[in-house]
Amino acid sequence: MKKKTLRKDFFMEIKRSLGRFLSIFFIVAIGVAFFSGIRSSEPDMRLSGDAYFDKQQLMDIKVLSTLGLTQKDVQEVQKIKEIETVEGGYSIDALCQVYDSKKVVHICSILPTLNAVNVEEGRMPSQAGECLIDVEFIKSSGYRIGDEITFSSGTSESITDRLKHQTYTIVGTASSPCYISYGRGSSLIGTGNVSGFICVPEEEFNMDVYTELYATVKGAKEEIAFTNAYSKKVKKAEKAIEKIKTAREKERYDAVVKDAQNQLQKAKEEFERGKKEAQVQIEAANTQLNSGKTELENAKNRIASGYQEIDEGSSNLDTQQEELNRQYMEVVARSAQVEEKENQLAQAKELWALFEDSDKIEESIKVEIRNKIAEAQAQLEDARSQLDAAKAQLDYGQQQITQGREQTKQAEKNLEKAEQLIPSKEQELNSAQQQFENSKKEAEEKILEGEKKIKAAEEDVSKIEHAKWYIQNREDLPDYKGYGENADRMKAIGRVFPVLFFLVAALISLTTMTRMVEEQRVQIGTLKALGYSKVAIAMKYVGYAFIATIGGSVVGILIGEKILPYIIIVSYGIMYQHMHVVLTPYHAYYGFMAAVVALGCTLLATGFSCYKEMKQQPAELMRPPAPKQGKRVFMEKIPFIWKRLSFIWKATVRNLIRYKKRFFMTIIGIGGCMALLLVGFGLRDSIVDIADLQFSKIQTFDATVILSKDATKLDKENTYDALKKDQRVEDTTLGLLQSVEIVNGDTKKDVYLTVPNNIDAFQRFVSFQNRTSKETYHLDEKGVILTEKMAKMLGVKKGDNIVIKDDIRGELSLKISEICENYVGHYLYMSPKLYEKTYGNLPEYNAVYYTMKMEDKDQLESVGEAVMQTKGALSINYTKELKTTLDKMLGSLNVVLVVLVVSAGMLAFVVLYNLNNINITERQRELATLKVLGFYNKEVSSYVYRENMILSILGTILGMILGRLLHRFVIVTVEVEAAMFGRNINFSSFVYSFLITIGFSFLVNGVMYFKLKKIDMVESLKSVE
Amino acid sequence: MKDFVKLEGITKTYKMGEVKIHAVDGIDFSINKGEFVVIVGPSGAGKTTVLNILGGMDTATSGTITVDGADITRYSGKQLTSYRRDDIGFVFQFYNLMPNLTALENVELAMQICKDHLDAKEVLMEVGLGDRLDNFPAQLSGGEQQRVSIARALAKRPKLLLCDEPTGALDYNTGKSILKLLQDMCRERGMTVIVITHNSALAPMADRLIKIKNGKVSEIKINENPVSIDCIEW
Repeated sequence: MKKKTLRKDFFMEIKRSLGRFLSIFFIVAIGVAFFSGIRSSEPDMRLSGDAYFDKQQLMDIKVLSTLGLTQKDVQEVQKIKEIETVEGGYSIDALCQVYDSKKVVHICSILPTLNAVNVEEGRMPSQAGECLIDVEFIKSSGYRIGDEITFSSGTSESITDRLKHQTYTIVGTASSPCYISYGRGSSLIGTGNVSGFICVPEEEFNMDVYTELYATVKGAKEEIAFTNAYSKKVKKAEKAIEKIKTAREKERYDAVVKDAQNQLQKAKEEFERGKKEAQVQIEAANTQLNSGKTELENAKNRIASGYQEIDEGSSNLDTQQEELNRQYMEVVARSAQVEEKENQLAQAKELWALFEDSDKIEESIKVEIRNKIAEAQAQLEDARSQLDAAKAQLDYGQQQITQGREQTKQAEKNLEKAEQLIPSKEQELNSAQQQFENSKKEAEEKILEGEKKIKAAEEDVSKIEHAKWYIQNREDLPDYKGYGENADRMKAIGRVFPVLFFLVAALISLTTMTRMVEEQRVQIGTLKALGYSKVAIAMKYVGYAFIATIGGSVVGILIGEKILPYIIIVSYGIMYQHMHVVLTPYHAYYGFMAAVVALGCTLLATGFSCYKEMKQQPAELMRPPAPKQGKRVFMEKIPFIWKRLSFIWKATVRNLIRYKKRFFMTIIGIGGCMALLLVGFGLRDSIVDIADLQFSKIQTFDATVILSKDATKLDKENTYDALKKDQRVEDTTLGLLQSVEIVNGDTKKDVYLTVPNNIDAFQRFVSFQNRTSKETYHLDEKGVILTEKMAKMLGVKKGDNIVIKDDIRGELSLKISEICENYVGHYLYMSPKLYEKTYGNLPEYNAVYYTMKMEDKDQLESVGEAVMQTKGALSINYTKELKTTLDKMLGSLNVVLVVLVVSAGMLAFVVLYNLNNINITERQRELATLKVLGFYNKEVSSYVYRENMILSILGTILGMILGRLLHRFVIVTVEVEAAMFGRNINFSSFVYSFLITIGFSFLVNGVMYFKLKKIDMVESLKSVE
Repeated sequence: MKDFVKLEGITKTYKMGEVKIHAVDGIDFSINKGEFVVIVGPSGAGKTTVLNILGGMDTATSGTITVDGADITRYSGKQLTSYRRDDIGFVFQFYNLMPNLTALENVELAMQICKDHLDAKEVLMEVGLGDRLDNFPAQLSGGEQQRVSIARALAKRPKLLLCDEPTGALDYNTGKSILKLLQDMCRERGMTVIVITHNSALAPMADRLIKIKNGKVSEIKINENPVSIDCIEW
């Protein structure tokens, strides 16, 4: 218990100077909190992202195939030992109506476990014809839950070829781990830009094969996303898939080809059958037609022969009539004979009658005569009856003839009728003939067509492209990489800002501890005189600093590592609205680092001031410190200036130079504040402006249409013409846009080779200029123009040579004629002539750049849609979209930076206050003297303020220089590879930073005024401190 | 001029919690213009408090002080400052020079705020520092520093020169020479000088001797024939 009293003194000291103790405590706490908190934000961002992805079971690998993927493919991938689970999914792009325009949506199937969507509102689809809709898309599209949404394919095929229904009922909104931010990817239909996603159950798809496979990698879940360990595992699995890829591709290709051939065969057979049938039908029709013809001929013949017969019959009748007539004549003649005979007989009878009664005649004769008469009578009667019979016969004949005549007449009539029918029949026959001809021709044509089709199908089968697998990972998802990049940017920020905070904290503790040791000079001297060792005495101060620092560090770590990452992740949440997981575990590493650095700073500072005091003899220590000598300053040697200064200014200048430590600390403090503000404003200038600079000063076109590689020359021309002719389009130009690898030494980078068709026209779309001098460059055949960031990354400058690595032509060396200003992406501009010289062929232009007329800017998408309808267009990129994405991405960084800078400014304020406070305490005697001499409060404070203002102005000047450098450094570190942030700080930013800094200074001075007023003359003059 | 300075019933009470401490407990005295006044008393008697109140650096709890006809106890803070500025010259035990200004500049500092002042160089020459004009306080001895301090006070042509233990930090001879300087100034310029000291040996040099004990005036003695400091030994 040797040093019990010393220990007691130590705790008393803390109690007595609690304000000072707390000031170190809190300053250290703030410094450590910022350091460890911001440093932790980077891993915490990754952790939170990872936790979200794990929770949603986000896939690690996605396999796409040009010919689709079968169940067998799923099994084969599953067999790979690196793969954990594999699930097949369907997806298509479709169009749907949103207000006046058609927007592209990506319709995908809900997977069993992977890529789980979060239902934000509503419910999962449970019946056929129900779907989930993108929660972001629904906001902008005007659809509501319960609405129906109708899709169309956007191509010549029907949507129902692939999807069971055309119209779906929206039953809920969803967020997906595949789309963490605003990006939804691109499409080959419609505007080329996907606006949202739609989820439907697997059964809603009509396809036989999966469009994609999703897989998770064994052990990848345990790794943290966005780290090397994770990507290593995934890369390994990708390689394993790569190995089976070729075999699977071949099998799929063969299957598709076989299928196609089978179908073709079937089609061919069917065609043949059809052809035969057609031929048979034609034959039958022909036969029928022919028989019809013969029949008609026969009918005609029959009519002719009928006429003949009638003629014959007629003449027959005539002859019969003649005969009859003749017979009549005969009968008449015979009748006349009979009549004569009868007359004779009558005469004879009369005679007889005369004689009969005469008996003169013997009876015998009489009898004989009688007999004879009777005989004659009989004969005559016989003849008469014979005649009558003949006559009756003749009459019958006549009747028959008449009948015959009538019959002939009837027959003739019939024939005539038949004859009349002939022409219509003939006509009928003719039309039948015509019809036959026609249908024959038709059938023949059909056959020809079928043949052609078969031929085409055969060709198609032979043209079926080999299946190609695309193996993708999470980085191919929109915005996934961006999240990682944001974490990286956080890391870069974490390297710069917290260090400044630390510096400030260290400064504060240094001044505070120095002051404490100096104040206790007499006590130190007494202790020394009493025989305490230097270490024992110093331990008090070191211990004091140690406890304050450790306490501050612990509190700082505990609070900082929780709150700061939380704030930062939540502010990034503006961009990643549906990643609900925020993890902020403690990172012992950063905490430990911060605590060690903080301890190092304060202990060193304390040790240093103790050492300085301890060196002196006790007697010396017990006396007041030798007052600092007044010194002439260098300015006095310049009478020109010195003479011109008023007395009070001379005093100010001397004072400034006398308190060197304060001088530098204040300048550094103010300079730091100014620098931080300048960095803050400057970052806003450089980052927020790049989108504007890039898209309104450098690349001024509104959109680029990429032409399809497979399209014919005519199709491409049509596409170009369509744009050119569009009334709403102001200007168009053609170019080649192609990704190439360029090399300088060991550095290899990808860059877009751009060859304009017409250099002069192209310069209306893209301007080549120097960033600083704004000198405009012209593209010629002597060399290429490279964009600035790429030149920097490759380490090349104007006049150097770079090499393009071409797969076919090997290494092509080119001279850089100029380096041009560019902020987004990397481009290598080459004139067509140089291209021809280098590549040996003419460039195949594949990009159409266009700008809209001022008044039709809002029609941009509708022009794009129209162009996408043409065969030659593959895809379209809108400058507007790029700009918006960029703005959104960088905007959130801006928020974080503002938070940082504001806090930094506050800390700088604290420093200023502290320094001023110490300044006033140190010079209390001096100020009291002034007061005693009769200086008014205003005059006393202006005596101090004058110095402060000079220091502030000097500080701001330093801050401008420091800020400029720091800004440059921060820009370079936070910059992503694909973009160059502006290096400029606007003049207004200088003005703002200056005004704010000076404002801070005024504020501190204002607070100090009351402190100055409170200085008690009597007390401060009583004795030397 | 009679009653150039007049103190009537001056008290100063400090409250330390419940306890009231009477540092000055009813002091009355008056001083004529041009007098060399010595106030003596043991430590803690309240003489410095009286001087501070008289110099406008502190305010009395009760009582009135008239200086040249003006009641300074009714002055506001600002008026007190003006009073210090125009009417009072201080000389402190520890000189209280601005360490950062040369002897000349220290004098000039006071003159800055004074309308009717003397020439700094002349004053310094008068106090015998004609060759140390451009030295900083740290380069001067204690006596020299006190001379600067006196010069600074004189340059303002104050109505009253108040000196609080001006020789307290000086050796015998130096102290003596400083007192001599003060006495000469009083005699030559007709300046009213009030010197506080605990050294009663200085009594004979005063025109008026005021003894203070326990916050009260114990004795006022008019010296019809004050002796020169040179004749005093202690």
